[in-house]
Amino acid sequence: MISAENQRQSIIDAPRGEVHPSVVRSEDTRIAIERPLVSIVDDDESVRESLPDLLREFGFAARAFSSAEEFLASGSVAETSCLILDIAMPGMSGPELQLELGRRRQAIPIVFITGQGDETIRTRLLKQGAAGLLLKPFSDSALLAAIKTALRVS
Amino acid sequence: MESMAEPDKSRNDSSLETPIPVGAVPLESILCTEELSRRPSRPPDYQKENHALVELTSALADSPSTIFQTLADTIQEITQCDSAGLSLLTKDGKSPHVEGKRFYWPAIAGMWNPHVGGGTPRNFGPCGDVLDQNRTLLFSHFERRYPYLVPVNPAAEECLLVPFYVAGNAVGTIWAIMHTGRRKFDGEDNRVMASLGKFASSAYQALVHIENLKVQVTEREKAEAEVRELASGLEAKVRRLVEANVVGIVIFTLEGAIIDANEAFLQMVQYDRDDLASGRMRWTDLTPAECRDRDERPIAELKASGVFQPFEKEYLRKDGTRVPVLLGGTLFEGAGNEGVAFILDLSEQKRAERSLRRSEAFLVEGQRLGQIGSYSWRVATGEITWSEQLYRIYEFEIGVPVTFDLIRTRVHPDDLTLYEKMVEQAANGGKDFEWQYRLMMPDRSIKHLQAVARATRDQDGQLEYIAAIQDVTARRLSEEARDKATSELAHVASMMSLGTLAASIAHEVNQPLAGIVTNAATCQRMLAATPPNIDGALETVRRTIRDANRASQVITRLRALFNRRQIATESVDLNEATREVIALSLNGLQRNEVLVRLELADNLPPVTGDRILLQQVVLNLLRNGSEAMSAVHDRPRLLLIRTDRDEGDRVRLSVKDAGVGFEPQAADSLFENFHTTKNEGMGIGLSVSRSIIESHQGRLWAEKNDGPGSTFSFSIPCRREADLPSNDTALVACAPSGRDTA
Repeated sequence: MISAENQRQSIIDAPRGEVHPSVVRSEDTRIAIERPLVSIVDDDESVRESLPDLLREFGFAARAFSSAEEFLASGSVAETSCLILDIAMPGMSGPELQLELGRRRQAIPIVFITGQGDETIRTRLLKQGAAGLLLKPFSDSALLAAIKTALRVS
Repeated sequence: MESMAEPDKSRNDSSLETPIPVGAVPLESILCTEELSRRPSRPPDYQKENHALVELTSALADSPSTIFQTLADTIQEITQCDSAGLSLLTKDGKSPHVEGKRFYWPAIAGMWNPHVGGGTPRNFGPCGDVLDQNRTLLFSHFERRYPYLVPVNPAAEECLLVPFYVAGNAVGTIWAIMHTGRRKFDGEDNRVMASLGKFASSAYQALVHIENLKVQVTEREKAEAEVRELASGLEAKVRRLVEANVVGIVIFTLEGAIIDANEAFLQMVQYDRDDLASGRMRWTDLTPAECRDRDERPIAELKASGVFQPFEKEYLRKDGTRVPVLLGGTLFEGAGNEGVAFILDLSEQKRAERSLRRSEAFLVEGQRLGQIGSYSWRVATGEITWSEQLYRIYEFEIGVPVTFDLIRTRVHPDDLTLYEKMVEQAANGGKDFEWQYRLMMPDRSIKHLQAVARATRDQDGQLEYIAAIQDVTARRLSEEARDKATSELAHVASMMSLGTLAASIAHEVNQPLAGIVTNAATCQRMLAATPPNIDGALETVRRTIRDANRASQVITRLRALFNRRQIATESVDLNEATREVIALSLNGLQRNEVLVRLELADNLPPVTGDRILLQQVVLNLLRNGSEAMSAVHDRPRLLLIRTDRDEGDRVRLSVKDAGVGFEPQAADSLFENFHTTKNEGMGIGLSVSRSIIESHQGRLWAEKNDGPGSTFSFSIPCRREADLPSNDTALVACAPSGRDTA
């Protein structure tokens, strides 16, 4: 299952460095201002640790938050160019945050990520305005493609 | 004379008259009365006459029974005749009686003395002739006219007959007879006889009076004897009654006094002789206040008819307790307001009735609670009655007298204070009560008891508790076991509910997998950079190893969870399974003020499947319905759970709520994950439920009610067609992942 998923997603893997070839180090906040900010909201620590590094390898600025509430309170909402959002979380869920952002008129493209789900969920969330949905585990190329799509939409 | 006289005596009244024989000589031919005045009269001997009269008078006073004989002797002595006697008119020819049919001879002196007791007819004889003519007559050979006198020997040459009278009526004659001609009666005889006739009258009256007196005395004596006999019989009966002390006897007045009473009555009311003698005892005081009105009827009866119908009442004993009695009585005749009452002590009967009632009450309470012990407790007397079962529960020998001290030895030390408080409240309260307490037996084992007591009033109006006590130890243990099972199931329900399980499996496993993949990709990019970011790559490798271990642990944990119970294929009684779910979730339902109504079909065929999973579905539907009604305040939060046979050998279960319902176009999405109309939860319950039902080859659907709310139903076949490849999400998600990752 896992290997099948990887193989399937690796086919659409994007060439690395294609979007921001000049970005080397993500720690440099001065540079990061010029880079689009991708925010991550996930209650899982593994994702919060690993995903920013990969995103910086892609050339984005990245910030991780452990809950929807933390993200809403962070002041990063307005800067965020793309939101990578977990669906099932304690407290406010991913779809609920999506609604909340809609209410706040914050049109941030959202790529949902989820540990469980099926095509019906994908269809429904996409219908409701999601830029993409990735089932965990997802490949780096699938992630990059989804983010590119999201940024293009916005 | 004998032959004549005897038959006469035996005659009855109607034959006492003697027919006058044809050819009898005329009366004139036997009379010679005028001769008396013609014959020379001898000189009167007054001294002799006076002497005789004095003797007669004293004889009359001394020995009235022989006065007639004395008179006859006197006549003979004074007249110097051969025979002398009396004839008395009688009815039966024997007893002296006025206006009789015959004369009889009570006394005769001289030669005719042997003929005493004989006599002559009234209508045809010398005495009758004398009375008819109302004067003294002298007969000569009267047997010539009266043939019945022929045999009376010796024959009467002359007979002087003098009538005597009482109150103007002739009652008899005195007579003197000469059997030979040696002397003839003369005028002096006539005078003396007339004088003696007056005496005879007095004597006769005296005798009649004496006879009457005798009769009266006899009759009175007879009556007295009868009365005495009667009285002694009655007395004996009464005495037996009194001595037997079976019946209380009271002499009373209508006004309330008790004049006398027997021992039985005194014992009944527990007074003594001194109380009685002092006059302190009044039946009005012995009567309880509420019974006094009831006494008015018998008192009215007494006044009207002298007796009253027996009736039941109660008397107060000296100590204030009550004795039930049956009372009957009568007024003494002529005694005005006094009477006698008979009182029967009904205590034994009442006790028997009461114990019967008590045993009935025991039975009723017993049936109510099941196999239980019961007791009655009369608070005033402290009398405690236990059923055998209660002795067994307390493990006391059956029949030992029960006291609170004894009971206290068994009550659990921790419950002793509570117990004594309960007893105290019960003694003062008079209300029904229920409570639970524990016993500690000699072997230190614990028993849990549940008591239900009803307060009643007994015959005396005294407080009496009738209680049922159940040994609920076994139930308590099973409750504890059930509570444990409940918490286990609750754990399973929350942790392992299929939806949660599937979600948590996917989540728990996919999270670390996502980390692994991402770190691997990052590592690859860091190493491929120029120059390669070695430190960063090492960090990602460290994370990758950590996440891989984490995924492995998740699988191990989930597997352990699964091993705790196997998903089974068994025969499931859906009604029973549903009842269990409701029993388990009743608390939560009650907390949400949900009314549950069950309409479970009889004879519902069992279905084949996994009991726990099906119960999970029922639980999800119950929660779903309950939560859908949480905002309902204007109508009952009614949840109707119904089972039916469905078409095609299927069984259907539906849960109908009165909640907010759903929009018709949303019916399809209800069962999708995350679809929820609720604030809590992620809305995966219905999705999971549908998966379970589909794995049972059934179908789960929702309908909008005509009224408020919606109905969720599932229908599953009674028999599974074959062992399908399991499409159980949990297994699919878990087992292959386990193999791949372990």
